Amino acid sequence: MSRGNRRRRPGAAPRALPGRSELPARLRNWRDLHLYSLVSSLGRLSARPFATGLTVGVLAIALTLPLGLGLLLDNLQRLSSTVEQARELSVFLKLDLDAVETDAALQAARALPGVVEVALRSPEQGLEEFRRYAGFGEALDLLEDNPIPAVLDVRPTAQADPAALVRALEALPDVELVQHDAVWRQRLDAWLALGQRFSWALSVLLVLGALLVVGNTVRLDVQGRAEEIAVVRLLGGTAGFVRRPFLYLGAWYGLLSGALALLVLAALQYSLGSAVETLAAGYGSGFRLREFSMLDALAVLIGAAALGWLGAFLAVGHHLRQDRFGEDSL
Amino acid sequence: MASTASGAAAESSTPPALLCFDAVSKRYAGGQEALRELSFELHRGEMVFVTGHSGAGKSTLLRLIHLSERPSRGAVLMEGRNLAQLKPRDVPHARRRVGMVFQDHRLLLDRSLFDNVALPLLIAGVARVEIERRVRTALERVGLLSRERSLPLTLSAGEQQRVGIARAIVGQPPLLVADEPTGNLDPQLAEDIMRLFSQLPAQGTAVLVASHDLHLVRKLARRVLVLDHGRLVDDFRAGASA
Repeated sequence: MSRGNRRRRPGAAPRALPGRSELPARLRNWRDLHLYSLVSSLGRLSARPFATGLTVGVLAIALTLPLGLGLLLDNLQRLSSTVEQARELSVFLKLDLDAVETDAALQAARALPGVVEVALRSPEQGLEEFRRYAGFGEALDLLEDNPIPAVLDVRPTAQADPAALVRALEALPDVELVQHDAVWRQRLDAWLALGQRFSWALSVLLVLGALLVVGNTVRLDVQGRAEEIAVVRLLGGTAGFVRRPFLYLGAWYGLLSGALALLVLAALQYSLGSAVETLAAGYGSGFRLREFSMLDALAVLIGAAALGWLGAFLAVGHHLRQDRFGEDSL
Repeated sequence: MASTASGAAAESSTPPALLCFDAVSKRYAGGQEALRELSFELHRGEMVFVTGHSGAGKSTLLRLIHLSERPSRGAVLMEGRNLAQLKPRDVPHARRRVGMVFQDHRLLLDRSLFDNVALPLLIAGVARVEIERRVRTALERVGLLSRERSLPLTLSAGEQQRVGIARAIVGQPPLLVADEPTGNLDPQLAEDIMRLFSQLPAQGTAVLVASHDLHLVRKLARRVLVLDHGRLVDDFRAGASA
């Protein structure tokens, strides 16, 4: 049956035609048939606005979740790549060390293999930086003691293994904490990769759910029109003729819900955008949320329509298989 | 054959029958034998009634012509083609060669008369301009052109059946089959409908009507096939002159 169908598609149409003069007429008929399906499927949607709205709403939510999550991850990834790949290690010494102990730690760090240079930032320098960059000046004035430890900025050689160096530095006496940006980066990347996997899995599930929603809605519509389908079959309608209006119906559901999902996402971005910008400005960053481009939006719409089409195809195909020649009733 | 071939069919020396049942038997899955060794021919432009008590096999006979069933044995040939050998994708095209009229008319109630009658042409992919012309012609032939925008439920039972006939003839099929088309109608309306059918052969359409209304069948003086328990027990031309 599907083969008979395929012959009607425009690409294949010329091959099936014997005479050239017939071609425009056949194309016109083909266009008329599709116009008929298009219009009648739209009519079915508008005949029941409430049911249509419910279906489109459910589908839109099922599409918004993975799209929103994908967008969020994409933004996080861009944010993390703006953090430069830092090779320097910061070694925080214990508080309350005197100058001799600090110097001993400095020398010990310098003596480690794989270290090019070590610079000391004394607690006083640290306090000054903190006051200057972070704007905590007044708060810091309230403190009696300097809460900032001495910090060693360690620059490793290009060949040094950062993990081994971290372990060696941590083993030194009087070292409180070794902070390595590369490790932090690795962890973030790992989290992002996990998030991406999760969003893929979620997307697959939700897209399957959307497929089932379209399929079930179209199935109900098919059931409601069983008599019409039976009559069309008796009058010589091909499976393709029966299927076509439902395929358009599914595609409409998909298209409408895709558009609604984009609207919801745009609203979310609008409401979050200013907050994110304020936050980014606080960190002295010009970071802005990336939005969907026209191309992305188009892809979402096309993908959603294709999803609806497929769901309808599965549902109608099921009905047609049950209603094969020799089993339908007069 | 015992058929009273119409003039058009008699002209050719060996006219190929429009419809030919060749020793057709149909046994349903439950073991019930609906048709036994049924053979007859129907020529172009011929009209025939099929009568018999209910359960005699009239409906099965129609279902075989319309490819809703396949014979268990024997062959049904339509225009020389064995219907049992059609591929599934050719079934819709074969069905378009037969106009169907149902006892309960089976019109689409949410569509206007025009749209109902246009449906077979739409299915066959006829151009829109052509559709309008042919639908109007068909509605005019059954006398309902003025009601083309009405919905089926606003019509009387007889009018609804006439729309069903218009839908069956709009595609100009060589054969029209009707299953108890007057079963729901009072005698006067039934006769009107039957008269409408009997005008069709003159326009080139062969007609096969299943009916148990023997009184009406005799009145129309056409060829009659009588079925009894799935067997063809009589094939005669009703005696009364029209």
